Amino acid sequence: MTTVPLQAYLIVSAALFAIGLLGVLIRRNAIAVLLGIELMLNAANINFVAFWRYAGTANMEGQVFTVIVMTLAAAEAAVALAIILNVYRRFKTVNVDQINLMKG
Amino acid sequence: MIADLWHQFLSGSFWQPLSFVLLSAGVLLPALAVVFSRNIVHSALWLLPCLVSVAGFFVLLGAELLAGIQLLVYCGGIVVLILFAVMLTYGVGDPDVRAYNQQLWWGLLGVAVFGVLAGFMVTAQGWPSQPGPLPPDVTGRLADALLGPYVFAFEVASVILLVAMVGALVIARWEPSE
Repeated sequence: MTTVPLQAYLIVSAALFAIGLLGVLIRRNAIAVLLGIELMLNAANINFVAFWRYAGTANMEGQVFTVIVMTLAAAEAAVALAIILNVYRRFKTVNVDQINLMKG
Repeated sequence: MIADLWHQFLSGSFWQPLSFVLLSAGVLLPALAVVFSRNIVHSALWLLPCLVSVAGFFVLLGAELLAGIQLLVYCGGIVVLILFAVMLTYGVGDPDVRAYNQQLWWGLLGVAVFGVLAGFMVTAQGWPSQPGPLPPDVTGRLADALLGPYVFAFEVASVILLVAMVGALVIARWEPSE
């Protein structure tokens, strides 16, 4: 029987995390930065579920953590998009490198 | 009963590695498209196949309830929310606007992070290579865990959702007097 080893899941999740980090670091649009954060949260969720499956299904911590992470991701997206809307009204832009009101 | 047949189908043949490879491509290629699309609307729409493939990973790992939550919360909720935000910030989806900043070195930092993580995983010994047998009634056990030993975290998450909802309404409210 051929099965997928745990490292394969971890490598895919690391690649997804790196892509999300890249999006957070190099995009100018604040909404695109938020998309990168969602990618990183999903990479963490893949890791949680993979470790739950491979390191013992007797405990349910992996899935419990994933449920909590999804809840917090939804809350974070709602608040972040509300902030982005407010910033857009004030500055007429959502490019994070043009919002430098507090720059010394 | 259908779940048992589905698990036998997944574990008994070459379907699992094949599904894994297809789902990996389904996660990583749309994720690259999310980051490198010049149009923010395309970015938000490319997030959709990526999240659906992550739900596929959850099914492959035996966490069907999480796959359903992923489809409902992420694909149904967050992507629609992001598209609404794109719609309300008019003009930012303009493809002529420069999409990237000049932080190439920080981008290389992201690649370096992946290199370190992947190198550690490839070279580390002692990861379990075979998953154990899947226990029956995973969803029921998840419910027992959420409402048993983790009920405090569960309730705190509910309070955070309420606070985030009220807070988002307050922050996003239009005040013409300003």
